[in-house]
Amino acid sequence: MPMSRQEAVEFLLEHYQNPQHRGQVPDATFVRSGGNPGCSDVVEMSAHVNADGTLTEVAFDGQGCTISMAAADYVAEITEGMSLEEIENFSAEQLMDDLGREVVMTRPTCATSALSILKQAVHEYRMKLAQEHAGG
Amino acid sequence: MSAPNYAHPETLVDTQWVADHLNDPKVRIVEADEDPLLYEVGHIPGAVKLDWHVDVQDPVRRDFVNTADFEALCRRYGISNDTTVVFYGDRNNWYAAYSFWLFRMYGHQDLRLMNGGRTKWEAEGRPYTKDVPHFDTTNYTAQEANLSVRAFRSQVEAGLGATNRGLVDVRSPDEYSGKLLHMVNYPQEGATRGGHIPSARNIPWAKAANEDGTFKSPDELRALYGGEGITPDKEIVTYCRIGERSAHSWFVLTQLLGYPNVRNYDGSWTEWGNLVGAPIEK
Repeated sequence: MPMSRQEAVEFLLEHYQNPQHRGQVPDATFVRSGGNPGCSDVVEMSAHVNADGTLTEVAFDGQGCTISMAAADYVAEITEGMSLEEIENFSAEQLMDDLGREVVMTRPTCATSALSILKQAVHEYRMKLAQEHAGG
Repeated sequence: MSAPNYAHPETLVDTQWVADHLNDPKVRIVEADEDPLLYEVGHIPGAVKLDWHVDVQDPVRRDFVNTADFEALCRRYGISNDTTVVFYGDRNNWYAAYSFWLFRMYGHQDLRLMNGGRTKWEAEGRPYTKDVPHFDTTNYTAQEANLSVRAFRSQVEAGLGATNRGLVDVRSPDEYSGKLLHMVNYPQEGATRGGHIPSARNIPWAKAANEDGTFKSPDELRALYGGEGITPDKEIVTYCRIGERSAHSWFVLTQLLGYPNVRNYDGSWTEWGNLVGAPIEK
């Protein structure tokens, strides 16, 4: 059942004001930055990938509006323990629903920026692994 | 309390004036932000929240709330017809100015903007609260919308080529040139075609603001607009993509510089850039 508007506001504010995943993962497998400098949103995502291909630790850093920062903290939280494939399949639409579509629909780029950056990082990491594998 | 050199200095108050009137029952402070959750993070004590996406838009048609809904909004905020309404917000008072324009259209008389908005209030270390105030409902009576401050598509079309007409495109240079089909971070508010309305001058809205969020001086503003041929003897129409940034420029032109004939075209580029056959310049 979707969150009410008020529940979504409270959910986002909790992530914005009390982020549990702000910082950078020590010995990160990858770190990638992105965002929308034109509107002052800058997000960095870092993660450690386990030998079995799951993300054991994910963190975000950066600055931006309430929705972009809250979404980044949520993305870091929800993707810990996911496989690389699961992250690549995690859709922006699903994230918008998780965050409370009614509230974030006016700011879709802010809401999905962290996920986009993380997915790009995962994609590049998988490409690198494939190249290394192909190279023997 | 306000800058005397502006054409209508009474419509601009500084942060100290607001601090001095926090408990004034004749004053209602209204926060209107671009960032939809900033009010909940913290706001000026006693301020109510105006969510531009929820409170002033018709939920079905593309239009503003009607007179009855505007009336209900004011009653809910505890605003009476003689209340001094002071708007402030983030990002150079972007949506605060939009709200000012909207309230003016519905005929509220005593409207002000807090110069510098949240940026200046915070820079001065002034307090915020999370407490949401509750006010007794009022018997507010709204007027029929005063459309002399609003431009519709047909009016913009009819004015194309007129020498006494000045069109101001307040979007970014990349939107004006057609390089971008939407504003950065607002992909849902794009258009199928890029460019600008023929003859429009590009004067990005935020050029009217200083680094600290306050408005530039009258001389600087006159040079900014006059230098592009946007002078008070003309009928001026401002536009952006949905009419919010251009409401800020409308405020500057009418309240700070005293231009007598300025309309905000809120249909803006999301309307014009999607019209079949509409003339466009790049």
